[in-house]
Amino acid sequence: MQVDQTLDCKGLSCPMPIIKLAKTIKKMNSGEVLEMIGTDPGSKTDVPAWCEKTGNIFMEQTEDGGAFKFYIKKK
Amino acid sequence: MFKKGVLRELFDGLFGKSWPMWVGGILLAILNILLFVIKYPWGGSGGYISIGQNLFQNLGVKSLGTSTPISLHTVALLNIFIVLGAFISSLFSKEFSIKVAPIGELVKGLIGGALMGIGATVGIGCTIGGFFSGVPALSGGALFLSLGFMLGTFVALRYLLWEMEALPKISMGKSCTLIPGTGKKTGWQRWLGWILIAVVLYIFSNYTAKGTALSKVLGWHVFIALILGIILQRSRYCITRAFREPFMTGEATAPVAIIISVLVVLIGFTVIKYFGVGNAGETAVRAIEMKSVYANFWLRALIGGFIFGLGMTIAGGCAVGTLWRAGEGHVKLWMSIVGFVIMAPVSKKFIVPVVEKTLPESLRYKVFLPDYLGYTGAVVLILVILLLWYMFVKWNEKTGKFSAL
Repeated sequence: MQVDQTLDCKGLSCPMPIIKLAKTIKKMNSGEVLEMIGTDPGSKTDVPAWCEKTGNIFMEQTEDGGAFKFYIKKK
Repeated sequence: MFKKGVLRELFDGLFGKSWPMWVGGILLAILNILLFVIKYPWGGSGGYISIGQNLFQNLGVKSLGTSTPISLHTVALLNIFIVLGAFISSLFSKEFSIKVAPIGELVKGLIGGALMGIGATVGIGCTIGGFFSGVPALSGGALFLSLGFMLGTFVALRYLLWEMEALPKISMGKSCTLIPGTGKKTGWQRWLGWILIAVVLYIFSNYTAKGTALSKVLGWHVFIALILGIILQRSRYCITRAFREPFMTGEATAPVAIIISVLVVLIGFTVIKYFGVGNAGETAVRAIEMKSVYANFWLRALIGGFIFGLGMTIAGGCAVGTLWRAGEGHVKLWMSIVGFVIMAPVSKKFIVPVVEKTLPESLRYKVFLPDYLGYTGAVVLILVILLLWYMFVKWNEKTGKFSAL
């Protein structure tokens, strides 16, 4: 998967990851893929829910050593 | 641990995935009703104040007021064992790790906690005692406190959005994650969870074995707090979110979950107050009716609520949201606890007297809504407010009129 931009949200807790995600996606071009890295377990439900609400495409989620990676394609 | 079979299936069902927030909300509502039957509706800020006063007392500072020792204070015990319950739950669900946020975020945690300490003492109550218990307790002040929470949340959210643009470095920088629950050699975390459950049950039985009325009440607070902590962590129940989300993403999931749970508490509390149920030694129905109704009507509640709303949004968790997130390992929320615990007794001693002097009329009114509207009128009023709030969040979810993101 080609990643166009990476957003580091490690250590951050609600609501910072979602605010950062929304701000970052806003500045990207349609079709570009964002890799978001975070450690807040809340993001596991928040990120897909935000994508569904905003119409952005939630592509994949991985988890390793307490860090989650989310891949989101801008609509 | 459990390799296969029904027990493993049950464990994975409970700790494999987060629970819907409304499920957690209903369970928390039932436990709140039980707490009222045992002694007093659920609260949070009273525990922070007590822990703070005990802390200062032990450091030799006696001028900030004295409190019953933590081991004899029901709300302080609730707070401590909620953190422990959430810690156990996050160990079981492999979501525990020590999450160290960038330094700017840690400072925000401290400031947010301190603002909550001021808000909760000025307005008398936090999102739990003042809202989740206060509104169903048919307190007039609680309605203004809740309005204050909403206004404070709105303003603080504007600040966060501005900060992201103007001062992005605050939430950037060095962060780290220690002892995560996923990856290699993490099996010990679940075993630690079981050991801690045994420890809490031992403390519970120690209290109840003493056999006095007080020790039984304290013991049950320890046990209920353990369950509260687990439910809070699994359902990520967040009142801050209910107030904030309509103005942020516009999602209605959290507000609706909170509305449902307040509705359940409303039914339980109204029955308890109307019939004068439960006591732990009390006989006067009036004393039961006035529980969770404080002398804060109306401006005092509004101002306190506003300051508290600012604090909980900056910290990223209210009095109880801070507790369960702290148990999950968020160091920012550890800082929030520190700020809350230090500032609450300081505010009670130095800020509250000024507020009481400026707003003397607030001390005169302990507004119990049924005194003015009757039980039916009071319950209908709360139902109408909940319904209007529901309609607003659902309409806003569709239209996004008030959402910033």
